[in-house]
Amino acid sequence: MRLSFQSLPDDDNLGRFAYSIRVDGEMFIRKGKMIAYFGSMKFEAVGSSLVDILFKEAMNAPMHVNDFVVVQGQGKLVLGDNGLDIAAYNLEDATFTLKAEHVLGFQRTLRCQESTLPGYLTLIGSGRLLASSNGPVVFVEPPCRVDEEAVVGWADLPSPSYRYDYQYVQGALAAVGAAAGITRSGEEKQLDFYGNGTVLVQSSEDALGRPGRLASIVAQLTGLHASELQQLSREVSGRMAGRS
Amino acid sequence: MPVYTQVNEKVLHVTLAGEEVFARKGSMVATKGDVLFARSFLGGGGVQQLAMRAVTNEGIQLMSARGHGEVWYGHRGLHVSVVPLRGERLCVEADNVLAFDARLRAGTSFLGSQGLRGLASGVAAGQGLFTSTFEGHGEVALLSDGDAIGLEVTSSRPVSVDPQAYLGHKGNLDSTIVTDVNWKTLLGQTSGESYQLRFTGQGTVYIQASER
Repeated sequence: MRLSFQSLPDDDNLGRFAYSIRVDGEMFIRKGKMIAYFGSMKFEAVGSSLVDILFKEAMNAPMHVNDFVVVQGQGKLVLGDNGLDIAAYNLEDATFTLKAEHVLGFQRTLRCQESTLPGYLTLIGSGRLLASSNGPVVFVEPPCRVDEEAVVGWADLPSPSYRYDYQYVQGALAAVGAAAGITRSGEEKQLDFYGNGTVLVQSSEDALGRPGRLASIVAQLTGLHASELQQLSREVSGRMAGRS
Repeated sequence: MPVYTQVNEKVLHVTLAGEEVFARKGSMVATKGDVLFARSFLGGGGVQQLAMRAVTNEGIQLMSARGHGEVWYGHRGLHVSVVPLRGERLCVEADNVLAFDARLRAGTSFLGSQGLRGLASGVAAGQGLFTSTFEGHGEVALLSDGDAIGLEVTSSRPVSVDPQAYLGHKGNLDSTIVTDVNWKTLLGQTSGESYQLRFTGQGTVYIQASER
């Protein structure tokens, strides 16, 4: 694949793993995901200069602000995300909630806020949104149940709830698990979606595992009691023992 | 002339009619016909080139294939792209080379002459300042994580790339390292794009959609 400035698309995929977008003004991208650009562009951290006075409307997610940079300038920008699939969504007066680690970039016409579900971001308004995923994205119409690791996000839907397998809820295992602080991860617990809209699912149950994920968990620790923290510590060491 | 065809995005097929092809050791996946494989120390270059490669760490272990027949090459499921050279010069990291024509002159060259700043960014990018070079008429097969993207550079349209996504470049190009380091970087508020390679001139720059 050989492309010049002219033949580089204004807003389209370059194969599966890269995306070319025309920049005229400003947009947000995930830190370090620029792989090339033609033209003149500046990359600045959000929260570091006069730019954020301009953008406090668009980027309203303090927990994730350090994962994104502002691109300013004119030209064509090529993005790549470590060999993950990249897809673009054109939002028109929409509400789109995504797992934060999947958000690769968005135009400043969109408003980015933290969802009430920890680790998720909600984008509101109209504009272009780029999202990365492990394998191509599959669209599912609710009502449906989806593995939490595989879910990328959902559009125009109320927040999902957890649905446990009946046998698991009934079984003695659940009671023992709750007492010992052990829960089996996996198929017994799923996200349950209802309403009119679309659910986006990636073709792998491997979460992307970016550092932002941990940050969102750590940020929630402030509300915990000392005894709860001890329980958490036991849970973590239990899991680590199980893995090794 | 050996004929290079891609079976799919990850496997390269070479037809030999008496010629010789060099390839990364262990990348041969299948062969047919009367082809002789031998470990190659020189890889198309002379003794001086060999010494250069040993010193600059740009050496990859090569094996040569010679004879009449067909050879299939692939490496670790990485994507393969064939770059034809018609008298131009290709600079590429040795790690990204799968195979090349024996007719090409292979060597090592010093990429950066940027002084200390260039040196610093070479370290930051985890890549050396030396690259392998190929010159002449023939084909080079490159390896990339995801498909390789060739960006054409003209004198009026320079391109800037992330050093970690950079694979190589072909033609008459000058590279400079652009740093975007300021007081904010020192406070830990980096933009994540502090070092960029800017190419000016006439030619093609190859990148991959992954930052290694």
